[in-house]
Amino acid sequence: MSLTFESYLQALQKEVDVLVGVSPDAPLSGLPQWDSLAILLVMSHFEQTYKMTITGQEIRQCKTIRELIQLIPQS
Amino acid sequence: MQITLSHFRLAGLAVSTGTDTRDYIKDGLAHGINLAHLERVAKTIGLKERKVASPGVTALDLCEDATRRLLAAMDIDVSTIDAIIFVTQTPDHSQPNNACLLHGRLGLAKSSIAFDLSLGCSGWVYGLHQAGLLCAHGGAGRVLLCSGDTLSRLTHPQDQSMDPLFGDAGSAAIVERTGTHTPWYFVLGSDGKLSTTIKVPAGGARLPASSETRVESKDSNGNVHHAENLMMDGAEVFNFSLREVPAAINTVIKNAQWNLAEVDALVLHQANKFIIENIATKCGLKSAHVPSNLVEKYGNQSSASIPAAMIDGLEEKLASRSQKIVGCGFGVGLSWAAFASEIGPVITCPIQPYPLK
Repeated sequence: MSLTFESYLQALQKEVDVLVGVSPDAPLSGLPQWDSLAILLVMSHFEQTYKMTITGQEIRQCKTIRELIQLIPQS
Repeated sequence: MQITLSHFRLAGLAVSTGTDTRDYIKDGLAHGINLAHLERVAKTIGLKERKVASPGVTALDLCEDATRRLLAAMDIDVSTIDAIIFVTQTPDHSQPNNACLLHGRLGLAKSSIAFDLSLGCSGWVYGLHQAGLLCAHGGAGRVLLCSGDTLSRLTHPQDQSMDPLFGDAGSAAIVERTGTHTPWYFVLGSDGKLSTTIKVPAGGARLPASSETRVESKDSNGNVHHAENLMMDGAEVFNFSLREVPAAINTVIKNAQWNLAEVDALVLHQANKFIIENIATKCGLKSAHVPSNLVEKYGNQSSASIPAAMIDGLEEKLASRSQKIVGCGFGVGLSWAAFASEIGPVITCPIQPYPLK
């Protein structure tokens, strides 16, 4: 059974506090706390939950939460 | 590389730290960083306080103090030490090495050998492997293994992404030849293609220190550094750590033919709480004791952090009986080294600042 976009979003927001309450299409560059620590938290979440390794560069290239979730192969 | 060695034991451990205490939140506020951000980083990475060396105190001094305390606690005469291995990347001089300087300070016999290993956070396990080889096959009955750095001096005080992470410490361990077959399982590796991931660009023969290498630059987050400072790509280090360390740990456990549930403790290089918890989760070591709080007391202590974590987290257990311990160091090189063995009893000295105030 494939997961819904909403469930990927909830799982991501549970682990990466600075993304809580942020619209999936809002620009990440507008968030004051979208920093190197937030990127590490995304890497850790993807690694532990989906067993996937991504680079910091790949995360920095994402402009929105929707693009982050699109990195997950199953999504 | 995988190797099983035997006929040596870890007999004693001591660690000395710098004397001066730095407070992460207070220092960050003084640098104009907002409290909410500092508290968020402190909670996630596990930063609180760190111990840095007083002016003029080097890794050699810290290791000498740890050694003298350990030799006194174990009632060892220096004439019985056949070799000194000194693991450091912040030696007193480019020549001679720290091991020979310590050989002279302690007054060791001329028949005992002394050499440095230039490694950082993976280095204690490399030193243990070399000490074990010297005892098992190299003609030594007793080896003094020292490891430590003063990394706090390599970061720029206005680099808030690096400066708050590091403390200064020196460790001493006594490794001895034995008649028993208790095996030590090692896995060691390097990835030199990633050598720029953790780097001090200037100050060596390739790019000697000069006024040009001290020209400061500021990044987009306002952090200041120059070419003589320690630089690190945190995201790349994270991926490296989760790629290589759990694989090495699971290999030594497999070679030892242990179940995960049998492992008493997993002692990792104390880079930070975040990386340690990620590695432990990926290894599936849920029941083992995994010390992860050394960084909030001392900062990242480079090659002294595994001995410090063993003393801080396992002191009482190590004193009384043998423990199934798995350890892994990982960092600059990039390089890593893991071990698994039944260790103990071990004589330990408490972690103590040098000089005492």
